[in-house]
Amino acid sequence: KNVKLQLISIWSESNYLCFRASELAFSLDPLPLNEIPPAPELTEEDARDLDALCLAKSYFDLKEYDRAAYFLRGCRSQKAYFLYMYSRYLSGEKKKDDETVDSLGPLEKGQVRNEALRELRVELSKKHSAGELDGFALYLYGVVLRKLDLLKEAVEIFVAATHALPLHWGSWLELCNLITNIEMLKSLSLPECWVRDFFMAHMFTELQMIKEALQKYQSLMEAGFAKSTYIISQIAVAYHNIRDIDQALYLFNELREQDPFRIENMDTFSNLLYVRSMKPELSYLAHNLVEIDKYRVETCCVIGNYYSLRSQHEKAALYFQRALKLNPRCLGAWTLMGHEYMEMKNTSAAIQAYRHAIEVNKRDYRAWYGLGQTYEILKMPFYSLYYYRKAHQLRPNDSRMLVALGECYEKLSQQVEAKKCYWRAYSVGDVERMALLKLAKLHEQLNEFDDAAQCYIIYIQDIFSCGEQLEHAEVSTALRYLGQYYFKNKLYDEASLCAQRCCDYNDVSSSSAAHSQLRDANLSPFGKMLILSPKQVM
Amino acid sequence: MASVHESLYFNPMMTNGVVHANIFGIKDWVTPYKIAVLALLHEMSTTKPMALLDRRRLNKLILPLQQGPDLTLEQFLKIVEECCLRMVNAVKHRLFLMADGELQDMEHFFTILPNAFSDSEAFKTSVVGLFMRQMLLAYNKLSFSQVYKLYKSLQQYCHRVQPELSALPTEDMELTSNEDPSAEHIDKDELDTASLHQSELRSDESQGPLSQKQAEYFLARQAYLLKNDENKAMSPAKLQDELNNILKFNPDFAEAHYLSYLNSIRVQDIYISTHSLLHYFDRLILSGGEGKSNGDEGYGRSLRYAVLNLATLHCRFGHYQQADLALQEAIRIAQEANDHVCLQHCLSWLYTLEQMKGSDSVVLTEDSVKIAAHFCLPYLASLGIQSLVQQGAKQGMPANKLLDALRGTDIMHWKQSLSELIEISLAQTTSIWRMYGKSTMARQQAQLLLNMNSLEPVNFSVQQNNTEAFAVALCHLAELHAEQGLYAVVSDIMKHLKQQFPPHTQHAKLWMLCDLKIQFEKAMNDGKYHLAEPHVTAISALNSTEGLYRKAQLLKALNQTTEASQILQQLQQQCEKSKDIEMTIRVMLASAELHWDSSGFATALPLLLQALALSRQHNLQSLTSETLLHLAFTQLMLGIPEQALVLVQDVLESVLAHGSLIDKGRALLLAARCQMALAGAAAQEHRLTALEQAVHTLDEAAVYFSQLDCKERMRDIHYLQARLHHTLGNISQRNKCSMLFRLLDQELPSSGMTVVSHL
Repeated sequence: KNVKLQLISIWSESNYLCFRASELAFSLDPLPLNEIPPAPELTEEDARDLDALCLAKSYFDLKEYDRAAYFLRGCRSQKAYFLYMYSRYLSGEKKKDDETVDSLGPLEKGQVRNEALRELRVELSKKHSAGELDGFALYLYGVVLRKLDLLKEAVEIFVAATHALPLHWGSWLELCNLITNIEMLKSLSLPECWVRDFFMAHMFTELQMIKEALQKYQSLMEAGFAKSTYIISQIAVAYHNIRDIDQALYLFNELREQDPFRIENMDTFSNLLYVRSMKPELSYLAHNLVEIDKYRVETCCVIGNYYSLRSQHEKAALYFQRALKLNPRCLGAWTLMGHEYMEMKNTSAAIQAYRHAIEVNKRDYRAWYGLGQTYEILKMPFYSLYYYRKAHQLRPNDSRMLVALGECYEKLSQQVEAKKCYWRAYSVGDVERMALLKLAKLHEQLNEFDDAAQCYIIYIQDIFSCGEQLEHAEVSTALRYLGQYYFKNKLYDEASLCAQRCCDYNDVSSSSAAHSQLRDANLSPFGKMLILSPKQVM
Repeated sequence: MASVHESLYFNPMMTNGVVHANIFGIKDWVTPYKIAVLALLHEMSTTKPMALLDRRRLNKLILPLQQGPDLTLEQFLKIVEECCLRMVNAVKHRLFLMADGELQDMEHFFTILPNAFSDSEAFKTSVVGLFMRQMLLAYNKLSFSQVYKLYKSLQQYCHRVQPELSALPTEDMELTSNEDPSAEHIDKDELDTASLHQSELRSDESQGPLSQKQAEYFLARQAYLLKNDENKAMSPAKLQDELNNILKFNPDFAEAHYLSYLNSIRVQDIYISTHSLLHYFDRLILSGGEGKSNGDEGYGRSLRYAVLNLATLHCRFGHYQQADLALQEAIRIAQEANDHVCLQHCLSWLYTLEQMKGSDSVVLTEDSVKIAAHFCLPYLASLGIQSLVQQGAKQGMPANKLLDALRGTDIMHWKQSLSELIEISLAQTTSIWRMYGKSTMARQQAQLLLNMNSLEPVNFSVQQNNTEAFAVALCHLAELHAEQGLYAVVSDIMKHLKQQFPPHTQHAKLWMLCDLKIQFEKAMNDGKYHLAEPHVTAISALNSTEGLYRKAQLLKALNQTTEASQILQQLQQQCEKSKDIEMTIRVMLASAELHWDSSGFATALPLLLQALALSRQHNLQSLTSETLLHLAFTQLMLGIPEQALVLVQDVLESVLAHGSLIDKGRALLLAARCQMALAGAAAQEHRLTALEQAVHTLDEAAVYFSQLDCKERMRDIHYLQARLHHTLGNISQRNKCSMLFRLLDQELPSSGMTVVSHL
């Protein structure tokens, strides 16, 4: 309840930045009337500035930032000061965006700057050293510093902002963008507050430490936020990241029931549906979202995925492009567009798209992986090694990168490295269950029969234990090899068993071999010398 | 989740999901600085009577002004002022007329601009004419707000010089003081915010955005300098800063990535260099695919070269296995695409790689030369021939053939003015002559290279580049001078080398090794073994074989015979494996000397004979003479001084002509000792003349040794001289010599070795 009180107070204080607060407040049980806190007392300053503030707020909502700032010039209250500075900042940003279109030349394009930043920084730093900044203003100061690429100072200010106003999620988010590794995270002194747990969970997701993130979210759910759509969506995204598809799908479905008009995170949902090839669900989702708002990045991504699943790759690429036009810094769309170009065999465009994705976020392992794949398709396995290695660096425990690395090494006839990769892929938990098969084949090639047989055995056990039928499963190959192996080692019972099992599979080429082998196996104990294979008889 | 504050701009230059940096094909655009240059040009063409000298100086200025990065008005005016004082005022006047006036004034300027050029000597297709027309075109294409923006920036540009003219509010004043380049002292005060100031400063003081043209020029210039004259290029850190700047503004500018690759190779940063290289090709693949009509061809081509470049990168860092894999890949793709030129490049890298790995690659190289000649690739062909010559020289091919081959390629180089190959060829000739022991020829070739004028258009008539060839030639020169005992000159050369090839650069190892060798030799000659010891470790770090050899020498000198012989055996095996003939012979000689120490003169003979056969076979004259001296000494010790003297006299001529000072001295000393031994056996009347002859020879030897300041040998000579004078009865001479001997003997630690037992 305490939390709820805090939320309500913050929400009433500023309705510009804290939509998360209201969202969370909604998820908690409603308070009885008598406990709803009275509106915060207005100070004298606030009262004096009230009219100007209201006027400015209206202008601000109409995006007339300069005008808003003008009328707030003389105001002294903290709130008005923040709005004043924030309008100036946004006005600068807006002008910057307008300039970009109208710049004098291509190289100047990147040099268009928000001219207001400098002045804002000087003023804010003066106030800051005088200690006159409240939480919101500190946050603004941090944003200004980050925009000026003064990252170290920005981190300090954001930390201060979280101390001053822990409930302002914006500062936490900004902080999250600036933290690059776990050591840095540990070295920061953050305020002890329940928001901190949200932040930590978010941070763990960003740093790909999914297990820790899930734990955090779980404990938050238990603490009373069970109904929060935010937490559910975050958990779903986390499950998506560790490729626990069923869990993620379940959560997303639940989420859509609770919040049917939600667009946020729906692109991730569509990715999951795509992976599972659930066409009708994806189509339903796409239509639904188009009805809600068709000019949203997420909507475009979902439609792109939909077309991609229907193998209409040109259209898919078109929709991803639209998503990018809506937000050029949308990472997922760049990567997905790369995939589409790959499907269309337009490798150069694919490379370009992936490169853009990497530019937006260097830690995007999918783009690195995609680049590796592109080069592998171009038959340049050595070249793609670098990209796969990058991807592997970012996701050390993802078997797909390891398998890809192994394949490249195999193509370069570096069997030792390939073996290492496959084995490692198996040990980190192979998603596609291909690593062992490949490892076994590699052993087979190198005439290491015992190792190969061992791998096949584990492979078969694996396949049968997981229960579901995988499309590419090559159980028959494995069984055939095992049969031959046992036969060679004079373990005829096992050989015959394997051969029998092998006959269950309707793979023609293998079955004929298995039949003959079965015969051999059955007969040989009685007198091998007498038995001739059909060929020899002919 | 995009933050609320990310700019959500729509990029009009994006089509097909691809951002086109240069959709309008404008490579250049109008900036205030460009207006200033235009104003200068305008003034130049309108003011008719102008002093010839002034005009010439101004004309020389035009190209750098057009190509260079944007300057501030102050800098610009200063440069013009140096050429012509009158012009400065005119230009300044015109600029301020525009800046202080209205937008109309600027528009007026652009309308009258073409009139000035219509009747003057600036033709439409000349550099000036093209520049002016480009500027006019770019100006005319500007939209309303762009023109206004240009005018505003022009005003700022002009008034930055005189801030008192502009009525800046106080806050802005404060800001400018914060941004002012002169505020650099603040950095030192606030160390933690140094980076902040730097980044702010640079965006302000840096000459504004580079246009595409300026950026291209900048990159080309820096890349050229990196290749040919690294010292003149920007320092690695600064260059990287500049590149990051360019890339930040235009990430599609692929060439900058390539330069960044070159730059990080320079500081041996494999991580960034790989990254930049791959990034470059990722970008290039794009532009190649779009730019050419035969898109697929250009695209595939850059793929092949991408892998090839990756191979060279690994080669450069010594990852031979990786390089090999990459190269195989490149070859495979090139084969599939039937790209013979690329294949040829691959082949030449293949043999280079084999050579680096230390295996025999003659056949490969020969093939490469043949095919290169067939496909008319002169550069690769002669590179192959040079590499063949190098291998041939090591394997003892006949000298005339090698030099013939080099001369043949030289003719072609001059025809095609492949200056790089000419340099290599000269350096190679120097090395070959040096190996054959012809110091005069080597010196001459080295001088030829050093005095050659560069043929490169950019650095025309500049005498020296800092390529590997120059480093090699200079090192040879240093060693040659050290052999003649001219240590002052050597230190001068070394100083120059250090300056030209700073320790972090690629070719620095060459002179480092050379420097160490010289110092080691010097210490050994002086008998200061404790000084030589640290050099051994340093040499081993640079070249392990050489280090081992030096260690053996040092141990031998310190009388640690067992250890020395162990090392020599080890070396012998190594050399057999690597087929390093020179080293083999030297090891043999050193082992022979070890045999002497244990008085096994007879056992030394077969070794020496083997060495002689080897050195003759490979035309290594200096080593041949050295071996012969060793043989003669053995014979002397074995009691056949007649034979020994004959041998010494045979060799003496070539030693005196080509040998180092110490060799000359040793040869003469040996001759004298043979003469003495003979005199002992001769009849009485001949004896005296023979002895006098020996004294004379000793005197000559003493001259050489004293030049080298080789005290140990001087002591031996004084001893022998004293003995001779004693026999001849020249008491005063004898006393003088024995006194000198005594002085030196006190100074030097007693070596325990008698004069007899070494050469």
